[in-house]
Amino acid sequence: MSDIAISVEGLGKKYKIGRRKSGNLRDSLSSIFKRNSHNHPITQSPNQQINDFWALKDINFEVKQGEAVGIIGRNGAGKSTLLKILSRITKPTTGRFEINGRVSSLLEVGTGFHMELTGRENIYLNGTILGMKRKEIKAKFDEIVAFSGVEEFIDTPVKHYSSGMKVRLAFSVAAHLEPEILIIDEVLAVGDAEFQKKCLGKMEDVTGQGRTVLFVSHNLGAVNQLCSKAIFLSNGKLTSLGPTEKIINDYISDNMFLGGIREWKNSSKPKNNDFIIEKVTLSQRGKFSSELIPYEDIEVDIYFQNLIKDQNTSVGIQLFTNLETAVLSSVNWSSSTLNIDPFTNGKFSEGRFHSKCKIPEGLLNEGNYYINVVLLKNHNKVSLIEKKVISFSIVNTGYMREGFHQSWLGVVRPKLFWHTNKISNESN
Amino acid sequence: MQKVVVDADKRSFRINLKELNHYKDLFYILAYRDIRVRYAQTFLGFLWAFLQPAATLLIFILVFGLAIKIDTGAIPYPLFAICGISMWSYFSFVLNQSGNSIIGAQEMIKKIYFPRLVVPLSKAVVGFVDFGVALILLIVLMVVYQVAPSPNIWAAPLFILLNIIAALGVGIWLSALSIRYRDFQHVIPFLVQFGLYATPVAYPARLVPDKYLWLYNLNPMVGIIEGFRWSIFGGNSPNEYFWISFATIILLFITSLIYFKKVEDTMADIV
Repeated sequence: MSDIAISVEGLGKKYKIGRRKSGNLRDSLSSIFKRNSHNHPITQSPNQQINDFWALKDINFEVKQGEAVGIIGRNGAGKSTLLKILSRITKPTTGRFEINGRVSSLLEVGTGFHMELTGRENIYLNGTILGMKRKEIKAKFDEIVAFSGVEEFIDTPVKHYSSGMKVRLAFSVAAHLEPEILIIDEVLAVGDAEFQKKCLGKMEDVTGQGRTVLFVSHNLGAVNQLCSKAIFLSNGKLTSLGPTEKIINDYISDNMFLGGIREWKNSSKPKNNDFIIEKVTLSQRGKFSSELIPYEDIEVDIYFQNLIKDQNTSVGIQLFTNLETAVLSSVNWSSSTLNIDPFTNGKFSEGRFHSKCKIPEGLLNEGNYYINVVLLKNHNKVSLIEKKVISFSIVNTGYMREGFHQSWLGVVRPKLFWHTNKISNESN
Repeated sequence: MQKVVVDADKRSFRINLKELNHYKDLFYILAYRDIRVRYAQTFLGFLWAFLQPAATLLIFILVFGLAIKIDTGAIPYPLFAICGISMWSYFSFVLNQSGNSIIGAQEMIKKIYFPRLVVPLSKAVVGFVDFGVALILLIVLMVVYQVAPSPNIWAAPLFILLNIIAALGVGIWLSALSIRYRDFQHVIPFLVQFGLYATPVAYPARLVPDKYLWLYNLNPMVGIIEGFRWSIFGGNSPNEYFWISFATIILLFITSLIYFKKVEDTMADIV
């Protein structure tokens, strides 16, 4: 047995765009005639090239048995196409891949559910569609029903279920598949928070049991929690591959503006009836940067317009880690600032304003962060919130480390008061 | 351990029988679903399976038996007709269902891998319910008219088998064609309607002039229905023209599998 679960070589997928997907007979027939009569290179349609769209190009990677690998990337980066190819729903245009082990893919839960059938029948139907044998489903039936929490309605047609119940039943079936390789796309987007937690727990079990998992999600926290390695796709190409945290960092920095300045074109400036946000910058010692050092103050400068006369305005920021953990939020109310902001609680006239906020040195740990900008009116009503305005990373400069090289636990890393004294000479 | 290799440069036209066998539970449960759902929320429910052939039979008796007075020899007309109706309705049902099956299953096809062939194949099982009811009708009528089955009855299962293969052959062709060219969705009802007249369901094949018999027998159902009647009531045994029907059936079935396989790879992209 090889210890490689999935190996992918030069994989590519080409789609034709601008053409009808299911053709009609006339088009096909006439294209046959065209092909036969025109072989002259010049008369051949020149936009044939333009109509080709490579959803994936030249993808190479390997996944070892028992590895959980996350696939991240923006919408349209080719994540779903990759999963579709690996789960054999569609064929690649170029390249090859090899999979060792039984694969189950959950590209969407509840596939094949039939509304007229009862919950019980749908468990069998859906389970079989997902590749289980009748015997296996029978053996796990009670477990599946218990996990879904729809015991009472198991003999009721699914059309009478609430949408939440349907999703729970569907996920329960999927969660009880026992493949050697599991391919998952965004299933965590379903159900309420409680159920999501249950699902995440179940998936941790799966990865814990040494199954190989390929996991696509926009929830970077979940990817980080479940996967040791990750792949970053962008525009159909594999941009980077490596330990999850590093890849997530790549993704975050790719995703947002790099140089410590965030500006918008006129038309796309974040705005509402009250405000327009014009520019946000990050700097240390007067230099714009998104790579910041831990032992200097971080200055956040927010440039905005107030559109309403005599509007009582406050400015705030929210600071998050790239894994969506909230670090802090701050606003220029007199009760929450170190100094007195001249415009604190002030009535703003119409015009342009500039607010500066300093995040003190030595507060944040190394890692990646992003900032949301919030503009409040009438003292404490959120009027305009612009999320992920700018991202930055605190780099490891050796600050506070004294030769310790591993990752430092925590979101913040302030210096704290310590005092140790000796109580006695006796050791017991 | 299961090993799968997919290579964009290698296309195989072989049907993976081992894999199909692996998915036989899916085959059964899809058939079960269709049967369960077929008469769901209808007032008469399963009775419809009986009413459809009975109504057709009644009309045939009125039009061809009593009004036109078609000569069916020693066989009473109702028996003659129900024999053809049972086979023809199985054929047309399976052709219709499997012809539309891939379009009907596109949600599944876009999301899950399984051998797509399972979908049209499973429709052959669905048709058995109605076929069974029609056969019961045939048996009841044989009892009523006190007609004993001929000694050729051993051949009946073979003609039923041929009917399954013929229905699937056409159905698989249409399912793969209609996913690419939706035009074929409109061809299906036309085929079923036209086919009824081009098949000896309501009338015996000997009414067709001899010089056109070879053409007539290109319709696979001609050989099947004539043969099925022979196996039940006796009479003239299938002649050389039967082999034309037989060859058409086999050719249709094999080519349907090849064409389906060819379209299968791109199904998820073109649905």
